[in-house]
Formats: sequence, C-alpha cells, structure tokens
Amino acid sequence: MTAAGIVTGIFIGCALLVWVIDLVRRDRLYAGYGVIFVFGTIAAMTVLIVPPLLRAATAASTALLPVPSLSLVALVILTFLMVYVFVQISILSNRVMRLTQELAIRSPQAQDSVAPGAGQRD
Amino acid sequence: MTLVARRTLVAIPAYNEAATIRAVVERVRAHLPDCDLLVVNDGSLDGTATVLHGTGATVIAHLCNLGYGRAIQTAVLYAERAGYDRLVTLDADGQHDPAQVGALLAEFDSGRWDLLVGSRYVVGRQYTGVPFGRRIGMRLFSSLVGLMTGHRIYDTTSGLKVIGRQTFTPLTKWQFIDFHAEALVYLMRLGYRIGEYPITVADRRHGTTMYSALSHVKYPLKTALMVVLGVVEANLARRRAS
Repeated sequence: MTAAGIVTGIFIGCALLVWVIDLVRRDRLYAGYGVIFVFGTIAAMTVLIVPPLLRAATAASTALLPVPSLSLVALVILTFLMVYVFVQISILSNRVMRLTQELAIRSPQAQDSVAPGAGQRD
Repeated sequence: MTLVARRTLVAIPAYNEAATIRAVVERVRAHLPDCDLLVVNDGSLDGTATVLHGTGATVIAHLCNLGYGRAIQTAVLYAERAGYDRLVTLDADGQHDPAQVGALLAEFDSGRWDLLVGSRYVVGRQYTGVPFGRRIGMRLFSSLVGLMTGHRIYDTTSGLKVIGRQTFTPLTKWQFIDFHAEALVYLMRLGYRIGEYPITVADRRHGTTMYSALSHVKYPLKTALMVVLGVVEANLARRRAS
C-alpha cells in the first residue's frame, strides 16, 4: 500500500474512533457494539502502520492481486453504515429499556402488607 | 445516628434465582427488620416471582431481562423516587450474609463515604482462592480504578454495596454495564467518596454465574472502554456544572 493510502486509512480510522466513542459516551451506541468497532479499528490501524503485519495480513487473506481502491471505499462506506444501523438499534433498545424500567417502578407488588417506602423514619 | 434512623432500602436483583431467593429474602428480613426490601425480578423465566409470595418483600418486575447493571439502576430509580436515604444492594444467590450489612451501615453512617463497597479483598489485598483468569481481571480493574482516580478499590465486582442518596441522581443519569469499575470510576471522578469495608462471602450453591464463556472476553473490553468514557463523561459533567 502506498504512503498516501496508509495516511488516508489512519485518518479514516481516527475519524471512526472519535465518532464511535462519542456515540457510546452519549448513550447512542451500546457499549457492546462500540467495543467491536473501537478494537476492530485499532487492530486495522495497527496492521496498516506495521509493514510486516500488513504483509502477513495480505498473505493470510491469500490475495493474489492488489485490492482496487474502489473496494476499500466500499468497505469504509459499509463500516460507517454499520455504525449507523447499530446506533438505530441501540436507540430502540434504550427506549425499550427505559420503558421496561418505568413499567417496573410504577407497578410494585407488595407480597404481604408491606408497602413501598414504609421503612423506619426519623 | 442510629442504624434505624434513616430510611434504608435493601434491593436484590434476581434473574432465575428461584432456588435461593426466598431464603435470601427471609435472612434479610430476620437481620434487617427495619429496612424495606425490594426484589428486582429481572425477567426471570423460572419461578422466582412465585416463590416470593408471602415473604413481605416488594417485587418489581422487568418484563424482559435487562441485565445486572440495569436491574441495579431500576432499584436506584425506585429508591430515589420513594425518598430513601440509602440503598443496600445484595446478590440473590445467597453468597452475601445479611448479618454483615449492619456493620456496613454503621461504617457508612460515619459520614466518610458516599458509597461503601463490601469488599472480599481489602484486608489481605490478595486475590487468594480466585481462579487465575478472574484474578488477572480483578487485579487489572483494581489497578485501572487506582490509575484513573488515585484511589484503589480492591473489590470492584462486589454486589454488596451501600449507596448514599447523594449518588442516586448521577447513577440514574448515565449508562453502566454491571455497576462495577466503570460506575466506581465515574462517581469518584465526580468527587464522590467511595470506600471498602471487609466482608466474607459464601460459595454459590445453586445456579451458575451470570458470565458466559464469551462474556469473559467481552466484559473486560466493554468495562475498560466504559471506565475510560466514565472519566471523560465525569470531567464533562463537572465542566458543565461549573
């Protein structure tokens, strides 16, 4: 891969990392999904930076011909699209979670005559 | 201030704990008669809800399983809305002895802590008897908490905690995975005082751990990410407040 390609890859990786981490921090992306993107991106960037790793990864993928740059663009678009889809799933999941918590809190069932909030007071 | 002078809620998150939950509730009732008792049934598929009939506990039920962290968060929300001063969390598998909670509450009432962790390792500071993989994880997260906050917590995964009212709001405002290292770091970076008090735990007799084989890989990665984000979020929250 050319130096320009590596720099572009690193730049895209950093942008993805910042975006994903901010999404997880704002509770827009579930941490479990975020971890996949964060560590996946860090691994990909490490492979890009270390030439022996890049050569090993190329050999391991049994690539005979150089990957067309258009395929890499497609891969980047696909990754960003996947983040978007996971964000939508996380938003929906968060809504279900809040609804479930709210329903639970609003319908406590006292098993005997003990009512919620009936503990010892000052 | 005496033990009973403040309103205390004991919360037990339970997921498929039909074999043990009734005995745990009865022991809490016997040892902490002045505390209210809440069981958060986290979408159990066994008879957890049924076996609680006649125990005197208040049960709130998640319609589906949300996980340990969200079950604790539901208990915090409940305690906040009902105006409790302190929340005690206990595991439903019977590993925690409710007889030890009184000492924990007495220490909490010294006013030195906003959250007190019942700790298995604070005395010896050694993870003896813990399986190798788990020991590495516990050391790692204990060190990570120390690195991020300057104050090491030796038992970051303890389910026995006393949570003060002052921490209820921040605990309901942000996401936590399991209320372990990530929650401790977040609170400490917000300026809350977290301490440890020695406890002993019994071996689990029924059921299995909530951690599957896959989660042994996922848990450290997720928690490490959330610990770092906890620092970022706490710093941002403090900046917004000032």
